[in-house]
Amino acid sequence: MPEITSPRPSDLGTDPVTARVRDTRAGLAALIAEAESARRQRAEGTSEDENTEDGGSAVCAWNHFENIPTFYNWNNRPR
Amino acid sequence: MRGISAAPTYVVMQPTTLCNLDCSYCYLPFRQADRRMPVTVAQAVAASVAPFARSGRFSVVWHGGEPLAAGREHLAALLAPFGPGIEHHVQTNATLIDDAWCAFFAEHEIRVSVSVDGPAARNGDRITRGGKPAYDRIMRGIEALRRHDIPFSALCVVGEPRPGVAAELYEYFLGLGCDVLGINVEELEGVNTRANGHAAADVTAFWSELVTAWRRDPRIHLREIEWSLRYVAAVLDGNADDLLPRRLDPIPTVAHDGSVVLLSPELAGFHDPRYGDFTSGNVLTTPLAEILAGAAATPWIAEFVRGVEACRVTCPYFGFCGGAHAANRYFERGRFDITETDHCRNSKIRLLEGVLDHARDHQPTAV
Repeated sequence: MPEITSPRPSDLGTDPVTARVRDTRAGLAALIAEAESARRQRAEGTSEDENTEDGGSAVCAWNHFENIPTFYNWNNRPR
Repeated sequence: MRGISAAPTYVVMQPTTLCNLDCSYCYLPFRQADRRMPVTVAQAVAASVAPFARSGRFSVVWHGGEPLAAGREHLAALLAPFGPGIEHHVQTNATLIDDAWCAFFAEHEIRVSVSVDGPAARNGDRITRGGKPAYDRIMRGIEALRRHDIPFSALCVVGEPRPGVAAELYEYFLGLGCDVLGINVEELEGVNTRANGHAAADVTAFWSELVTAWRRDPRIHLREIEWSLRYVAAVLDGNADDLLPRRLDPIPTVAHDGSVVLLSPELAGFHDPRYGDFTSGNVLTTPLAEILAGAAATPWIAEFVRGVEACRVTCPYFGFCGGAHAANRYFERGRFDITETDHCRNSKIRLLEGVLDHARDHQPTAV
């Protein structure tokens, strides 16, 4: 599928990226479920239980990128 | 997300400008010179960030140059002013890591992230000052981390994102044993002027292939995939508007001399006739909190904020991305109020498209 190049119609209903995500719901739902399972297997802590022995790991959680702010942050992360 | 926060979640510190490697794609100027950060700079930063650490997690990322090139004694002196609530990280090329450094990391509870680009043949850009491959030295350092059971993250630069590469890389990092992995498609920035445009189909296929490889064995927390899934999950749950932070993290980079560059460390050390030296102040003369509070007065930052707003109204990927990075805007296009960059295309747009392509091609079959 070609990339979406039309402007984001912020005031005109659903934007094309959101529409494409929704159109791919079934495949994404399976992928998201597998990712959640993988996260549990990694025993990644959450912000509530970082005092556990996992607290010293390089890994943290689903919201890892906010919990351990480093270069692994997403927004405007440095490289 | 509107504007720039006055409270960062981390600060990047440059203990020395020196790097013992001379990677072809490096953006850093002055990396041949050993300009060390005085302890007074660390003391000033430590005093300023203490309140941030009291209200939430706060990290110091020791970058460089190569931070370990500062030596253990000097790095310890720079760490000393920071209170126990501050988390410390190093981003290192790993070549200097030995048993003594591992003991240092353990003693100071420093989290380690290494820079390595995959198997030896993919590290051709990571070379010593004598032009020799650095891979063996990188691996010796990583082996020391493993020997001491020190968990580590990895950052991997990809110069040629295309099909075939992603599966090889992911397999490699599974074997390497990193907990977290970030994939950085090479960028045109700083003193690296190599073009970074790639065929759209190749880059999208690279990311799609990475999802496939990761899905087979998702032991590694893979930054790009996890973030993409977080976004699409939020879209499907109808709360994507809550995903981006309310304000951009200013990510202050404190250079060796105490000067502060916000948002993009890659701008540190550069000068432009229109924008000056990109600094917003110096911690030796002005408290960091005061520098952050006045960030909007730095002319290029005001232009950048306008650029973020332009991204918001023109780009359908804004909810995923949050706006083109400052350094990419400047080094690719010479301004901060432009929108889409090659970095956007390589690392945001085609990433999301690759994830969606994978999901489209792997829809569960009805029974």
